[in-house]
Amino acid sequence: MVQNQVVRFASSVLTLGEMEARKIRHDSTELWMRAIQPALWLTVFGTILGAIRGLAPSGYTYTQYIAPGVLAQSVLFVAIFYGILIVWERDFGLLTKLLSTPSPRSSIIVGKALAAGVRGIFQGIVIVALALILGINLRFDILDVLGVLVVAVLFAMCFASLSMILASLLKTRDRMMGIGQAITMPLFFASNAIYPISLMPKALQYIALGNPMTYVVDAMRAMLLTGNYSGLPTDIFALLISTTIMIVIASLTLKRLIE
Amino acid sequence: MLVREAEMEKARNVPKAISVKNLTKIYGNGFKAVDDISFEVNEGEIFGLLGPNGAGKTTTIKILTTMIKQTSGSAEVAGRNVNANPKEVRQVVSYVPQAISVDGDLSAYENLLVFGKLFYVNRSDLNSRIESALEYMGLSERKDDLAKHFSGGMMRRLEIAQALVNRPKVMILDEPSLGLDPSSKKQIVDYIKKVNKEFQTTVLITTHDMMEADELCDKIAIMNAGRISIIGAPQELKKSVGGDVITITLSKGSSVTQVLGISIPLILGNIASNDGSTLKIVCENGEHAIPRLLEYFEKNSLSADAISLSKPTLDDAFMKYAKASLDSSRDYGDTRATRRSFARRSG
Repeated sequence: MVQNQVVRFASSVLTLGEMEARKIRHDSTELWMRAIQPALWLTVFGTILGAIRGLAPSGYTYTQYIAPGVLAQSVLFVAIFYGILIVWERDFGLLTKLLSTPSPRSSIIVGKALAAGVRGIFQGIVIVALALILGINLRFDILDVLGVLVVAVLFAMCFASLSMILASLLKTRDRMMGIGQAITMPLFFASNAIYPISLMPKALQYIALGNPMTYVVDAMRAMLLTGNYSGLPTDIFALLISTTIMIVIASLTLKRLIE
Repeated sequence: MLVREAEMEKARNVPKAISVKNLTKIYGNGFKAVDDISFEVNEGEIFGLLGPNGAGKTTTIKILTTMIKQTSGSAEVAGRNVNANPKEVRQVVSYVPQAISVDGDLSAYENLLVFGKLFYVNRSDLNSRIESALEYMGLSERKDDLAKHFSGGMMRRLEIAQALVNRPKVMILDEPSLGLDPSSKKQIVDYIKKVNKEFQTTVLITTHDMMEADELCDKIAIMNAGRISIIGAPQELKKSVGGDVITITLSKGSSVTQVLGISIPLILGNIASNDGSTLKIVCENGEHAIPRLLEYFEKNSLSADAISLSKPTLDDAFMKYAKASLDSSRDYGDTRATRRSFARRSG
């Protein structure tokens, strides 16, 4: 009985992920356009700031150093605005219809988060490909790249759930646009994505340590750049904890969205 | 009398698809959306929930589909309690929300696939069920097209096809014809009838279109301000508004005093108004009364120039009962007054 429920839960979650993959197959224009900004970060920003010495650890160019951070950023952008989609689906009745199926509510939330993860995978692949094209020297080992994609999925699930929590509190698309704009940059800047934490003022360092993105960038950097996996267990653990917390809260607040 | 009792006995034994008792919903802000309503829907019936905007129809549906919890009272769908077994309820109910809710970025087939999977339809049956549901709703040829390229009517048909994938015992449709052109409306009505007949699916529908409700529903409940004003077959509701109204214009030659002085046998109906040349007569069955009235006038050496018959519509019933609970101090028991007011309105 319990086993059956677990199978059903997983099946519903995967179904929503599959739905998203099918949507991307029909039309992936949006995701390709989302590759433009990371390309600018890597080519323009990376090249210019690369002129300043000391930003990147010795032995690596600045562009190499920020590539994992830019990957994480583009996943963050996809995830943080995912709540807008939920509000949109609520307005169109699609959410109500999903919730009127016998699938458990939490499986719909996890499934929606996974859908954001599917988009995150796509972003990850695009940026790894971009790095290849731009000749940025990363460790393009297949297992490492797969590891990065797994981290990207978890990261997208974490922030898509945060976005869904915000959606159930704010309830309208306009407000979601606003809050999305308001929190993406702080999250990005208060992390180790484009500069080492050691260069930050003390107070910001603490904030950065509480920011899930820091752990994501650290994990991605380990796999794509340094090959030093010593910090990986901590990173994955921190990410799993924050993702779980976000999903649980999102499942609890979801009903506010449909009342 | 015996026949009637036997009928009532039979009605009691018909299994209930939906049974709602003293249901009340008060929202967090103190708004009482549903106020102590009770009704039953027999298996295989098409039940219409009518009422003005904000009457509490959608809230009632949300409770029945386990989207929200009631404040008090109880509701059962297909014998399953919405609070005790919400998942079981959702397993046997298909819900088509008011807004068009197909996913435009997926093809017709994929829209059904997703819901088939979320309803845990057996993998081995899934493909054949999807194909047959699409076929049934006349969408087979467009099954690989993205739903966003469909017309409003086709989207609705796709939604009903979606609802069919889990072979529901009860289908709940919230204003399915909203925003459709007349021919698409007609088509949706026909499809709902077909689904009801062929799958013995019980249907609960809300609509603002009285013609549609009249054509479709076996039973109708009119809601207003959270309460149910009346429940009955469309025929009964129409009858309760007043009878048929026959308007007879007598030929110019007739003497005004004679016309003013005329009375008709009660069995033919009541004269509601008489201005010396035109009579308005309220009766039970207009088609039946017309030839007899003409015969009666002829006997009294009067002849008619023109004759027309107007029958009460569900609109009239709606206006009466929707208004009735807005102003409950008014007494609608007085048939004479009602008939007069009806005669005035149609005059």
